[in-house]
Amino acid sequence: MGRKESLKFFVENSKKDFSLVEENLHKIILELNASQNKKLNYIEEYDEKNVLQQLNDLKKNSSKGKLFGVPLTIKDSICVKDLETKAGSKILKGYKPLFDATVIKKAREEGAIILAKTTQDEFGFGTFSTNTEKIPKNPFDNERSCGGSSGSSAAFTAYTSRYHASIGESTGGSIACPSSFCGVTSITPTYGLVSRYGLIDYANSLDKIGSIGRNIEDVALLLNVISGEDNFDSTNIGKKFEIEEGSIQKIAIVKNFFENCSDEVKKIVLEKIDKLKEFVKIEEVELPLNSEYALSAYYIIATSEASTNLAKLSGLRYGVQGDVVGKHFDDYFSEIRSNYFSEETKRRIILGTFTRMSGFRDAYYLKALRVRTKLINEFNQQFKKYDLLLTPTMPMVPPKFSEIEKMTPLENFAMDLCTIPANLAGLPHSSCNAGFSKGLPVGLMAIAPHLQEQKLYSFGKVMELE
Amino acid sequence: MNETNNPNKKMTSVMIGLEIHVYLNTKSKLFCSCSTDIINAEPNSVTCPVCLAHPGSKPVLNAKAVEHAIKVGLALNCKINNNFFFSRKTYFYPDMSANYQITQYEVPVAENGFIKLGEKKVRIRRAHLELDPAALIHPQGLGKSNYSLIDYNRSGFPLLEIVTEPDFSSPLEARGFLNQLETILSYLNVLMPNMTMKADCNISINGGNRVEIKNVSGFQAAEKALAFELARQKQQEKVGNKIEQCTRLFNADTGQTVEARKKETEEDYGYIFDPDLVKVFLNNKQIEKIRNEMPELPQQKIQRFVSEYNLNEYESNVLCNNFDLSKLFEELMQKKVDAKITSNLLTRELLSILNHDSLKLNQVKIKINDLQELILLIKNGKVSDKNVKQSLINYISGDNTPPKEYLEKNGLLIKEIDLESIINNVLEKNNNAVLDYKKGNNKVINFLAGLVMRETKGSARIEEVLEKLKQKISE
Repeated sequence: MGRKESLKFFVENSKKDFSLVEENLHKIILELNASQNKKLNYIEEYDEKNVLQQLNDLKKNSSKGKLFGVPLTIKDSICVKDLETKAGSKILKGYKPLFDATVIKKAREEGAIILAKTTQDEFGFGTFSTNTEKIPKNPFDNERSCGGSSGSSAAFTAYTSRYHASIGESTGGSIACPSSFCGVTSITPTYGLVSRYGLIDYANSLDKIGSIGRNIEDVALLLNVISGEDNFDSTNIGKKFEIEEGSIQKIAIVKNFFENCSDEVKKIVLEKIDKLKEFVKIEEVELPLNSEYALSAYYIIATSEASTNLAKLSGLRYGVQGDVVGKHFDDYFSEIRSNYFSEETKRRIILGTFTRMSGFRDAYYLKALRVRTKLINEFNQQFKKYDLLLTPTMPMVPPKFSEIEKMTPLENFAMDLCTIPANLAGLPHSSCNAGFSKGLPVGLMAIAPHLQEQKLYSFGKVMELE
Repeated sequence: MNETNNPNKKMTSVMIGLEIHVYLNTKSKLFCSCSTDIINAEPNSVTCPVCLAHPGSKPVLNAKAVEHAIKVGLALNCKINNNFFFSRKTYFYPDMSANYQITQYEVPVAENGFIKLGEKKVRIRRAHLELDPAALIHPQGLGKSNYSLIDYNRSGFPLLEIVTEPDFSSPLEARGFLNQLETILSYLNVLMPNMTMKADCNISINGGNRVEIKNVSGFQAAEKALAFELARQKQQEKVGNKIEQCTRLFNADTGQTVEARKKETEEDYGYIFDPDLVKVFLNNKQIEKIRNEMPELPQQKIQRFVSEYNLNEYESNVLCNNFDLSKLFEELMQKKVDAKITSNLLTRELLSILNHDSLKLNQVKIKINDLQELILLIKNGKVSDKNVKQSLINYISGDNTPPKEYLEKNGLLIKEIDLESIINNVLEKNNNAVLDYKKGNNKVINFLAGLVMRETKGSARIEEVLEKLKQKISE
């Protein structure tokens, strides 16, 4: 699994010697095929002819960008022109977007090769990538989950030994969670830093596209490329992440986020934090409002938005089609949606429709929005004193599939306890590997103030010292 | 017994409110860059991932539509909200590509306005922006086809919904309001050409349940639909039936409304803020800038015409209630022609020809010079009223020959010398009639005038003929 050098090194050399690009790509294709043969289920859609065509085009291209020759895997929910894109859902089977998502466009402009779409929970609804047909397996232990919902973006990043990075998406922790479970590095940026144009929405006010890689340099390089202005996304803030050091004077751990974590996770994370104390002052804080209310507010807002986003999926213009003639459209829509949405998707649509119904809207949806503002303020208060806040990424090591099956939906939702607050507040956060417990990776999450991704970059470098 | 005490003859109290949908005049759709020019386009050819609601696409607000909406809000004396946002109104319908409509719910662009309808103040509740759904086409007619076709070319067109309070007490009053609204909107130049305004008409009588007539196309139809519904409700009440709250549809062919569905409760659209769009923030400076760029509105123009051109209130009203007509008038004024004659020509002759042929001014070709020549002829007494009209009819609906040329070609211009000899000739040949007149039979003068007019082929002014006849006879 190991490679020492960063993508930057690879790109610099590739610009001088194209055979490095060819060799890396051919070997990664072999690994990809091997993972498919082993039924690790990382790949949702892969078109070798298309990939080789990109290689050919790249060879002729004289403008050599920051990601020249780097193969990228892409979470399935991000549109790639002419490549089947279905956000892990049966209902979008056969849907080939007419356009590239902005992040894909930006990556291509910098010379990246779009390798494959990675498997995920349907529409991002899940923490273990088990809410889909092809369930990906953790590269460290195939009996265990690789996390979700950008599960295979992290898993394939850990699996491959070649130069590669992955574009993931997080709504409530879907980048950090699999990064933790697969022992890789990621940054989920400030909401609005990376254009969402071309992302199949889960919950638009929460969705963030981010980068997953083998080390903080790779992650920063990819984030630098995909961030920045885009006129096609109204919520885009028009700024680019520049790879620069951010100042870190003081850090705090969020004590009450540790409470529901397993002992082994606590142990590994606190040991790592002890080592960090050599470099920087670390104190303790509590975020009581976030502990108490973030999860509820998140699920109300996320499902309210999701239930409207998914309304368009009705078998009419794209994706699966049924026999429509002679049927009332209501019956046709119901038939398609009943047959092709998973149980979890139906649960979230029903929940989200309920929370915005008249009579309940004030008590749930509107209240959750007000709570969200209070939770952001609670973070901002702490950021007056601290540059970063630390917490375990996940409350446990990757669970076995047999354990996941026994979980109730509520236990499932509670897995996102540490990741949801930063996601709800739109705050940038990273997950870096803190160590291993019995061979299973444990992640450490750092949360920075809005648009202070540089602090995460500097912190990631400190994490990688040793 | 007076009328109000008689239960059988009590006055019916009528409450009518309108929700008017106006297409705004923008080059592109409300949330994408697709053109709004779809007149000759193949079905579904003017579409993109955004207006088809393809997964991953996102809306971006058209700033021009916001500017238009603010202008309308200001013209309707509304409060313009400094920040407003868009919401998703969710319902499943095949013409709605996302199965939700992007509209405004809590905070519209403009609210709490009014316009004056004569002495009456009609309150405007709100004006909000929203997108138009696609067009559903039923090949064998509504209810008869077992399938429908959808044309998404119109999907995403910018609509402004203007909602009034239930301030109208008759269908005619509602129609008057709609006419005035259209005049204001045409002054603002915010109306998309070739698109009809549509209205949802709400009506209740004697404080009873409200009936909504949905999606009535055109103002005449709105008045008819309301009149039919008013009569229906009165009839229902008379026979002792309770009027149910319901939605009805207007059939323009039969002139009747038919029940579409009962409405026990308000529909639940599960509104949420559209998280793909951001709040629009406007500072007062921006609003003032738009206010300062507003064109002159009908009321202002009416007053100005009165003071600037010495027109009376009535003619000024008639001119200014038709934007194009008032524009034509001012273009003629630039040529320094007589205001009174011009106003008469436009408001009486021209308008009646247009109305007769159901034409709008912008549908006919009129050259300023042609009218200017005609006005000069009138001013100099060279043409009779009858021939003014005839030349104008030919100009508008005939072979379009300029009026002056037409009058000359057909020998319809008054020639002073001819009139003199024609009168002498007529008097000579009708000695008996002259004698009768002298004996005191005044009516005979009309007979003589008729003969003169016939000889002049109607090109003389009747007043002049009468005057000259009397003069000659008494000589």
